Amino acid sequence: MGAKPVRVLSVGTALPGPPVDTAALAARFGMNRLWEQWVDTFIGTRSRHLAVDLETGRQRHTLADLGETAAREAIADARLSTEDIDVVVLGTATPDELMPTTVNVVADRLRIDGVPTFQLQSGCSGAVQTFDVASALLGTGAYRTALVIGGDVIARHYDVSADLHAVPPEELVNYVLFGDGAGAAVLTTEEDADAPVVRRVLTRLTGLDREPGQVLRWFGLVDRASAQAPAREDYKAIEESVPVMAREVADELLDDLGWKREEVDYLLPPQLSVAMTAKITAGLDFPGAREVSCVADIGNNGNALLFFQLRRLLAEMRGPARAIAVAIESSKWIKSGLALETL
Amino acid sequence: MTTADFVRLVRDELGLEVAEGDLDRDLDELGGWDSVHLLAIAVSLERHAGTQVSLPDLLTARTLGAIHGLVAA
Repeated sequence: MGAKPVRVLSVGTALPGPPVDTAALAARFGMNRLWEQWVDTFIGTRSRHLAVDLETGRQRHTLADLGETAAREAIADARLSTEDIDVVVLGTATPDELMPTTVNVVADRLRIDGVPTFQLQSGCSGAVQTFDVASALLGTGAYRTALVIGGDVIARHYDVSADLHAVPPEELVNYVLFGDGAGAAVLTTEEDADAPVVRRVLTRLTGLDREPGQVLRWFGLVDRASAQAPAREDYKAIEESVPVMAREVADELLDDLGWKREEVDYLLPPQLSVAMTAKITAGLDFPGAREVSCVADIGNNGNALLFFQLRRLLAEMRGPARAIAVAIESSKWIKSGLALETL
Repeated sequence: MTTADFVRLVRDELGLEVAEGDLDRDLDELGGWDSVHLLAIAVSLERHAGTQVSLPDLLTARTLGAIHGLVAA
């Protein structure tokens, strides 16, 4: 972490449009009450926000729109201006365009210029990865304040005219699991006694010789007629591996810091779906910790999720308190976690 | 829907390699069976048999034969 600790000064978030409940999805896709009951029972996600208009299929929000809104909120909450930002890091699996990178489109809209900017191609571990990169940069002492952003917009893959009766199981779940959104945080090495200190950031690739658990493709001029599924989940491998990996991340963070399980006040578990998060949280076994989850209301919005959890955390966390966050990316099996503390 | 039709539907639409002899085995003993298959089979049954299936009934069915019975009855 370097000599000066890195602190989370503020968090901002942005969601596109109104919440879309499962009944609205059922109506759009011609699914019946049984389907709704199945989603309620086995997924549990009540609503999500979509960048596409469910009726027309037209995209109404871009990742840059959401990233800009979240970033403005975070900077305002930090009582800073965009001129105070020394470095920007954005994580996403779904950039608006491959170039220019979305981080630079957002920076441009915020009138941020003349500073280093980085974009990470990342999934559910992306938010932690932005913290890792930004913390390392702040730790050099060359920068004081970083803006980190994470978000995803699945509009390109969300076909509102799809016949869900004919979609194979590994693609079917995508229509109910995922949502869109963005989040941002201001990290700083400036003193602020109320802002949580980032005690530890863990990101680690563990996918050697493993098939990816999640695949998201993009197509160009030559292969745009590809028969390959643009998005695919090996949900069985995810169900099996993510709880185990999450426990390993939590245990490693505790070991590194010398924290005892019962000393953790807040737990921010992986947000795959309500049902999976409940299973993972039980396995993480932090009996004294308050769970901070949001997937029931916003769905799985990938790189944005942790920011929504952190926003809720920051509203509550008053020192002395400790928090552990865990996120697992099943694409190529990446472990990630954060430990925060207020004194 | 006959038993043969039902087995064909499970094989073709769910991609599960089952035979008529598997209909009385517990679902957990079927290689690869999970809750997404439960939904997929219910959706297929409703389409082919033209009858509504209720989730509580499906959840009490522990074998493919019992699921078939929900629409064959």
